[in-house]
Amino acid sequence: MHGSAAVAGIGESTYYNRGQSPHTEFQLACIAIQRAVADAGLELADIDGFVSYMDQRNGPVRLARALGLKELRWTGIPWAGGGNSMAAAVQAADAAVSAGYARHVVVFRALAQGQFGRFGQAGGSGGGGGAYMGGPFAWNGTYGILTPAHQCALHTARFMHDHAISQEALCDVALACYANAQRNPRALRCGKPLTREAYHASRWIVKPFHLYDCCPENDGAAAAVVTTAERARDLRHRPASIVAAATGIGPPYGAFDGDTLGSAHYRQVAQHLWEYAGCRPQDVDVAQFYENFTGPVLMAMCELGFAPPEGIEEFVSGDRLVGPDAAFPFNTSGGNIGEAYIHGFEMINESVRQIRGDSTCQVKNVERALVVAGPGYCPGSAVLFGAPE
Amino acid sequence: MRRALGESWVLPALDALNREFFTAGVLTLQQCKACEHVQHPPEEVCESCQSFELCPFASAGQGRIESVAVVTQAVHPLLADRVPYAIVLVSVADAPGILIAGNVVGKEPDAIEIGDPVRVVFEEATDPRTGEELRIPQWELVSG
Repeated sequence: MHGSAAVAGIGESTYYNRGQSPHTEFQLACIAIQRAVADAGLELADIDGFVSYMDQRNGPVRLARALGLKELRWTGIPWAGGGNSMAAAVQAADAAVSAGYARHVVVFRALAQGQFGRFGQAGGSGGGGGAYMGGPFAWNGTYGILTPAHQCALHTARFMHDHAISQEALCDVALACYANAQRNPRALRCGKPLTREAYHASRWIVKPFHLYDCCPENDGAAAAVVTTAERARDLRHRPASIVAAATGIGPPYGAFDGDTLGSAHYRQVAQHLWEYAGCRPQDVDVAQFYENFTGPVLMAMCELGFAPPEGIEEFVSGDRLVGPDAAFPFNTSGGNIGEAYIHGFEMINESVRQIRGDSTCQVKNVERALVVAGPGYCPGSAVLFGAPE
Repeated sequence: MRRALGESWVLPALDALNREFFTAGVLTLQQCKACEHVQHPPEEVCESCQSFELCPFASAGQGRIESVAVVTQAVHPLLADRVPYAIVLVSVADAPGILIAGNVVGKEPDAIEIGDPVRVVFEEATDPRTGEELRIPQWELVSG
């Protein structure tokens, strides 16, 4: 069950509310990368590859120059989407070091939405009859379907309708993220607990999502150093073995299609992940699920085999997701909603902490820690970390 | 019919793939001349047989609401006085499996439900850049 690659070091900047970072996005990236490299017990000169995802603005050559790398041998970025590629980025680094194309690859995500604007804000200036949406955006934008929240709400509404799932299930996901964040000093929502009453009293963003179903927008960066399992054994920390990773989507390929409406599009990822890992959902000790919005978490849990849709409301209800002794330990750092929205990469670092045994919400005897990236509409990905042999 | 999201709301930038859909005045999907596969959104290749020979497919526009969400927070200044508005995905009887995005006109957003029967209607607009007349598909509930 042990992979040929492992995460040897993790690091992050301080996390900030949107627009509050005293540093630029590039500087945040440099901070997280330097800390991850130091955490591994390596020097910057040891790093010879960079992988990121989405529209990462902080390119590998600029980073290599700024950080004084000895050489750059591997760069990669999964195509399209956003947080859905977070685990695929780790997979690409695994592939590089396992094949011997590079020795120490840094996977990272940096975003300063204060500096560069918001993902959730619809584009388009002008107006008054002079604004257009073209290409793929015309099909939805013409109708005011503009953001990931709108897209995920349409899937979630159908999922809730088909399986008689109530608003409480969404609420329970948000409450668990907030509750776990209260243990985590890095978390932006630490010291700001959420109650069920406050959840229901909060304004709607797009029904069925209340304000607290939506992750906030943040500035920050997080990074992890991937190297071979063999090299990782000689470094500072207990390595987090990359047991299995999967990315995929497949027919239908559209975000909106009759056959996959009401899903997170995780059928392929689930099949390939468990097959590659040689284990089952029941073998997972702790899991982080990307929650740009709460609804897709429920769908992804079902598609990955943790519960049937008819049982998902009970699976997440009460305190079943809360704390280190939860029935299903979930988003133990607080996730995007509770810790910080670093496009899910904070979940990679949290899973490594769970394997090391130094999470602020540490689950006992963690052998396997799962990270499920954002909804699979373009496509999704997941990575399973394991304790070293 | 006036535009559901206001006369000043953004227009689709017309191109070779979307012009029929947004101007024809009938619900126009895309069909392969070789294998008769119907697809939407239109593509430059048939997704079933990979032919490049594609033509318009006129749907009768009889549909069903497959999902609905109600947007309550405007994410664009032009929509500030348009919320709440419903966004829907509609299936049509003569092209199974395809979903078409849209809005529902003439009904309170919160009263729209999955499973409601709908029919296509068209909002009218003129592209100020080119003078082209648009007929943008929208949906209204079919009573009973």
